[in-house]
Amino acid sequence: MANTLSLYRTVKRLGIPDERIILMLADDMACNARNNYPAQVFNNENHQLNLYGDNVEVDYRGYEVTVENFLRVLTGRHESAVPRSKRLLSDEGSHILLYMTGHGGDEFLKFQDSEELQSHDLADAVKQMKEKHRFKELLIMVDTCQAATLFSQLQSPGVLAIGSSMKGENSYSHHLDSDVGVSVVDRFTFYTLAFFEKLNMYSNASLNSLFNSYNPSLLMSTAYYRMDLYQRPLSEVPVTNFFGSVMKTIHTDSAYTGFSAEPKIKVPYVLEDNEADRMMLEREAEEDKIYSQDKKVGSCSFHAWLRHFQERLEDENADTLVKYGFGTMILLLAASTWLSL
Amino acid sequence: MAEDSGAALNPCPPSAAAADGDSTRRTARPGTKRLLLTLSVLLSFLSGLPFLLKSTEIYRSPLPFRSIDSLSSRLQSDHPTLPCRFQAVLLRPDADRFLADRLGSLISEDLVKRTSNDPVSGGCGKNFSVSVTIDSGAGCVRSSVGAGDACLWRCGVADFSGLGGGDEDVDELLDSALREGSECLGSGGGRVYTVVVIERDVAGEGVQVVVGKHRHAWLVGKVSEPEAVSMIGKIFVEIFMNGGKKAGEIGKAEFMPVGADGSVVLSFSLLNADPSDWVYNWEFQKIEKIMLAPVVEALAPIANITVESQVLYHTPKSSISYWDKKLGSYIFTMRDLPFFVNSNEWHLDTSITAAGQSKVLQFVELQKIFQVFIGQLRLLFGLRSNYLDATEMGISRFLNSERGFTEWELDLLYRHHTCFNLLSCATTLESLSKLVQSLPRMIIMDEIGKQVKFSLEAASLALRNASLGIYDASAVSARKARALAEDAFFHPSIMSISYSSIEHYFAIYMPFFAPVSLHVLLAAIKELKRYKRERAKYLTSADQARAAS
Repeated sequence: MANTLSLYRTVKRLGIPDERIILMLADDMACNARNNYPAQVFNNENHQLNLYGDNVEVDYRGYEVTVENFLRVLTGRHESAVPRSKRLLSDEGSHILLYMTGHGGDEFLKFQDSEELQSHDLADAVKQMKEKHRFKELLIMVDTCQAATLFSQLQSPGVLAIGSSMKGENSYSHHLDSDVGVSVVDRFTFYTLAFFEKLNMYSNASLNSLFNSYNPSLLMSTAYYRMDLYQRPLSEVPVTNFFGSVMKTIHTDSAYTGFSAEPKIKVPYVLEDNEADRMMLEREAEEDKIYSQDKKVGSCSFHAWLRHFQERLEDENADTLVKYGFGTMILLLAASTWLSL
Repeated sequence: MAEDSGAALNPCPPSAAAADGDSTRRTARPGTKRLLLTLSVLLSFLSGLPFLLKSTEIYRSPLPFRSIDSLSSRLQSDHPTLPCRFQAVLLRPDADRFLADRLGSLISEDLVKRTSNDPVSGGCGKNFSVSVTIDSGAGCVRSSVGAGDACLWRCGVADFSGLGGGDEDVDELLDSALREGSECLGSGGGRVYTVVVIERDVAGEGVQVVVGKHRHAWLVGKVSEPEAVSMIGKIFVEIFMNGGKKAGEIGKAEFMPVGADGSVVLSFSLLNADPSDWVYNWEFQKIEKIMLAPVVEALAPIANITVESQVLYHTPKSSISYWDKKLGSYIFTMRDLPFFVNSNEWHLDTSITAAGQSKVLQFVELQKIFQVFIGQLRLLFGLRSNYLDATEMGISRFLNSERGFTEWELDLLYRHHTCFNLLSCATTLESLSKLVQSLPRMIIMDEIGKQVKFSLEAASLALRNASLGIYDASAVSARKARALAEDAFFHPSIMSISYSSIEHYFAIYMPFFAPVSLHVLLAAIKELKRYKRERAKYLTSADQARAAS
């Protein structure tokens, strides 16, 4: 959790506003009964910085962090009641940074100790995102054991991925905080944060320098990155493209002066209602059914009976159908038992 | 009871076997009770199997895959183009039939040359017709292309004698003369765009070219024939067809401002950082009714626009501004512009879940703000507001409209959005069909099937309207088609992770059915074998008895 929160703070410091960040935390540490420092999360044993202190907006916490919700965020298939802050509102010009950390293994990432995100699910979601133009460039950063296997199935163009370790390797934590009793930050994340400490929102350090800053001997694993799907050379891409706020500003060249204070023609302002359109969907269904039934013409009684039987089968729902079936079976069994006695 | 069952279980009744002392013969017919019992159990299992399969069937609403494929291949092969008609009207003293025909063919050639590269989506493609009318007051001549068309210029209607006023008056005059024509959709379909050439001596200024706010432009002055043809062609193609942009810029429909469901939310917020200092208010409702309502109504076919406004207090800035004495106001640097919106403190989000996102920044008198805002809105929709390089095209002036968009600009937007929405709808439906076919055991709800069906209907209606040249109806249908297709694709039930694979199905049902059916089958087979064996014994002994007697 400290991994994610530290990167969250870094990214906010470099200018990405909260509304553009979707933070999913299992959130089981800060208020844990065993936490000596309640409501405080540190990423260093010197306890200098309380990551959970102020201005932390968690979008999905606790039980909401599931593989299904994660994939819904990526593909955009939410229920209609989900608020905007929980949706990924990106378009075809967006650069997205996806950072995942936790326990993982060969082709999977563990969620909440009970579920797994498989690499092919992730690849599938990214493919659907690309088809619907939900991003222009995507950077996936994974800090788990055997992280590089998680993005091995990706095929969509415009995706860059870096993992903290390769297949068969573990990723290690940086140091243990003996006061709190857990390791507080992982090595890959620690060195990533160290790289960003030197930057501010206007700097133009390139992704190449970030990727080259990882030292395998310090990480105790090989940070593997995959750039075969990414067109631009890494030395030309500033890190603020993904970690900072990039907004293209277009000037309005002039005002449009066609307006006068009083209009010559009064126009009625009518609000169109979309409900009428949606209601049509249900009404159409009944009309369809009636129409299709009218078309049937009885030719002979057997066909008529068969058709009637088919209609009955279609009309009944599954439960009554099963009940009919079971009833018949029991009748048959009873008859045969009586016969044998 | 136990004795009876014991006797029934005993394959050879002691009496029959004891009679011969031989296990290969029997005198009594073999019993069929057990065989019937086991066979009936087996049959009841087999008869229950269809019920089981039916009740555990995955419900998949049938999607019209073939129609989707045919729609998308049709749209890919030729982009939908909406027809337009152009007419040039010359007001000159002598009406000459040959001149009209010659000019007509020259202008057509010029247009073909200008549109020779790939037809842009949203333009008229190659689907246009040109006609020339010469009105000399006394006589009226048309080129052969437009003869008989009731939608073209009616000679003698316009009276230019009292013409002394400004460009707006000329515009209104021409509009009243052309009003019949621009509203009607005659043969060939599409709107009629007109350039009127008024030949008279204009003191000093040379040729004056003005583009009006309806569907016409006019040239005043003395021009030579090739110049006139070139200017008319340029107006037709670069202004009326392409909206002032070069051909390469239009095709990219990046950042279309209308959301996937065809709606746009305009949200206006008045921010007050320190209300203890001063409290501001704005007469938003009045201004909105006067200034925004016409724009909203004009854009209604392409976007369902809703307007919201709010006043926020305690919204401090996160960027620092400094006082500039020369300009007499507080200034922000350009570098701070992307970080101006302080999203931590400013809750600017709209009240409903609007589908897209776009931030328009305003500082500062409400009417002036609205003028700038309309300029920004036009920019979002891809239209410039000042046409700075108009002079290089030779246009002297563009007239502005109180609806925010002139009629020819609206036509252009309708065409462009129709084309884009249709293409987007087709690609979305194709992605959906590919996705659905790749997951054969995913539940497809009825709602998705209905949405796809309505989307296809709306798309075909839009194509029909587009070929007839009805711009606004085709824009509405295309928007509806895209909205329905997006709804179907983003339906929350299409989650690949929650479909049950065939292995899952087997894993649920096999633990019960496999052992039970195995036993039943074995029992039936055993009984059948035993029955056959006993029957064979009985038949041989019956034969022997017959042979002996």
